Amino acid sequence: MPRFLPVLGLLCLLFAGATGHAQELAVDDYEFPLANPFEATVAGTPAHLRAPVPAYDDIDQADFSLSLNPERAFKLPDNFWAVKKLGYRLARQPGPAPLIFIIAGTGAHYSAANVEWLKRFFYGAGFHVVQLSSPTSYDFIAAASRFATPGITPEDAKDLYHVMQAIRAQQRDLPVTDYYLTGYSLGALEAAFVSHLDETRKSFDFKRVLLINPPVNLYTSISNLDLLVQANIQGLEAEGSFYELVMERLTRYFHDRGYINLDDALLYDFQQSSHALTDEQLAMLIGASFRFSAADITFVSDLINRRGLVIPPDTRINAGTSLEPYFKRALLCDFDCYLTDQVIPMWRALYDGGSLNQLNQQVSLYALEDYLRQSPKIAVMHNADDLILGPGDLGFLRRTFGERLLLYPLGGHCGNLGYHVNARHMLEFLRG
Amino acid sequence: MARALLFAGLILASGAAWAQQPAIPDEDGFTHPLRSLEFNAGLDQTVFENATFQALEVYDPFEPVNRRIYQFNYQLDQWVLLPVVRGYQRVTPRLVRNGVSNFFDNLGDVPNLVNSALQLKGERAMRTTARLLFNTIIGVGGLWDPATRMGLPRQPEDFGQTLGFYGVPAGPYIVLPVLGPSNLRDTGGRVVDTGIHQQVDFLNYADFSGDHPELLLLEAVNTRYTTPFRYGQLNSPFEYSKVRYVYMRARQLQIDE
Repeated sequence: MPRFLPVLGLLCLLFAGATGHAQELAVDDYEFPLANPFEATVAGTPAHLRAPVPAYDDIDQADFSLSLNPERAFKLPDNFWAVKKLGYRLARQPGPAPLIFIIAGTGAHYSAANVEWLKRFFYGAGFHVVQLSSPTSYDFIAAASRFATPGITPEDAKDLYHVMQAIRAQQRDLPVTDYYLTGYSLGALEAAFVSHLDETRKSFDFKRVLLINPPVNLYTSISNLDLLVQANIQGLEAEGSFYELVMERLTRYFHDRGYINLDDALLYDFQQSSHALTDEQLAMLIGASFRFSAADITFVSDLINRRGLVIPPDTRINAGTSLEPYFKRALLCDFDCYLTDQVIPMWRALYDGGSLNQLNQQVSLYALEDYLRQSPKIAVMHNADDLILGPGDLGFLRRTFGERLLLYPLGGHCGNLGYHVNARHMLEFLRG
Repeated sequence: MARALLFAGLILASGAAWAQQPAIPDEDGFTHPLRSLEFNAGLDQTVFENATFQALEVYDPFEPVNRRIYQFNYQLDQWVLLPVVRGYQRVTPRLVRNGVSNFFDNLGDVPNLVNSALQLKGERAMRTTARLLFNTIIGVGGLWDPATRMGLPRQPEDFGQTLGFYGVPAGPYIVLPVLGPSNLRDTGGRVVDTGIHQQVDFLNYADFSGDHPELLLLEAVNTRYTTPFRYGQLNSPFEYSKVRYVYMRARQLQIDE
């Protein structure tokens, strides 16, 4: 393909973007190879199209931990020792530098693949980088969440803010010039709330805040994710369970290849082969991975708050106790179930009642509409084919962010986060 | 000129066709990805639940003991092994560490070869033989891995896989102290592989390391250094069950492949 044509188109688009309209890329100009949003979500950007990042050995980084909720240690059984303190990872530059916080997506650990990639990329661009687990992740709920019932975004943002302040106190020797903030998926929604909180608390005075594929209407997003496991899967009679079907395909793929290699390109190459999964199967895979997150949240939140929905409050757990019965019960609970059983009752108790619509209004981007409209330091990157969006969501982003919305035609949910075009745009905005 | 334009147009058109334009965007530009999916009409299928419950059914009669050993391993890893690996990374340049990994990988190609042969995988045995020759001779005793660059990637085969190849069932799931997830078949396989190692005594390593326990220590450190698994990285209260499924399934995959 002639390379200069798309580049030219891209430049035109970028320069034309200063008129209050979202900056949009057309499919042909974008040249992202995965036109299928499900494939993009699962496989991510192929290695050769990712932005260059420094090697692991060239990054000066270490893991640290914070004791934020000392009384929580007594509420949790001993074999939860690993999450009684909150871990985080810091990559430090040799001299004074700006620092960027990265907030992970739903259920994700600070060392999840997307966070790691963003760290390497921003580190290569000269930032100190702090990687934070999602407030919906096992370690964060256990160690850092005051209510241990994530989902009420303003409260989650307060927990995050507390963590970030504690990190700054712990790393007081680190020479930081300015603070930046980013997050992807649910972490992006939380980043917006953290930034809003910072306007009054003024601890960091973030210079730029970048939201990558945030949910707009949180209820739409969790409904979409819950729906994915209802995709119609054919051929289960022959293969047994759905995982067996996937493993069967993978086995045949490796057999054809002659050897097993579990590298970054695996999923991409697999989807290009004749054993590729259908859209429905990919949707099921994505839905399943979110259901595992939902199960973790359901179980841990119930365990800490002693609600007795999944695990009876007086259950004694030690290192040898099988957690399988509770795992199975928690697996039956999707996001909607968690919301109904745990979030809404607690939210009503905290804020004197209210309907699901009111809750959704408070925890979604809508709550910050005026703030986001008036804050030139906040930008959002999103994809026209993101699975977590619903009708009208892009319209909200267009109206609210104007030219600070960078809209890509492809990428699914966070599948283009490592793509060199996106990476370049991230830096252009942060340095802008 | 006209021809060049036509040519460019053709390429662009074919590119667009290959990209199979997704659903037509609405006025906001949203393409409604979920609309292209076919859903179960009643929205009441339990494919996910069934598959997951089935995956949890691993024969694990020693679960209470296994779970305790798993916790022990986790703590050992956190407080001893990983700090040692970090120290190792601090005092050695990457070149040296790669040399060490290559050296032990090369030794490991001996059981790989034996097991490929035992499973009558002729081509694989030949390729592993070629690897051994190239890496030992050109790669100076295995310190360097020219074979991989020559298109002969490492193809691990162990005696557990050989047993599986001949239909020996996995047996109960076992968590070995320090070494981690295994099962009865693979634990037996491990013993045999160590025996092969001792018997063949390739490069006199088995003999020599008997007098030099520091070499065994280096081997252990290298093993942890090259194993990417980190406890807690799955970040789930149900890590034990998930690791168990992945281990058993991955072994099955290696045997079937």
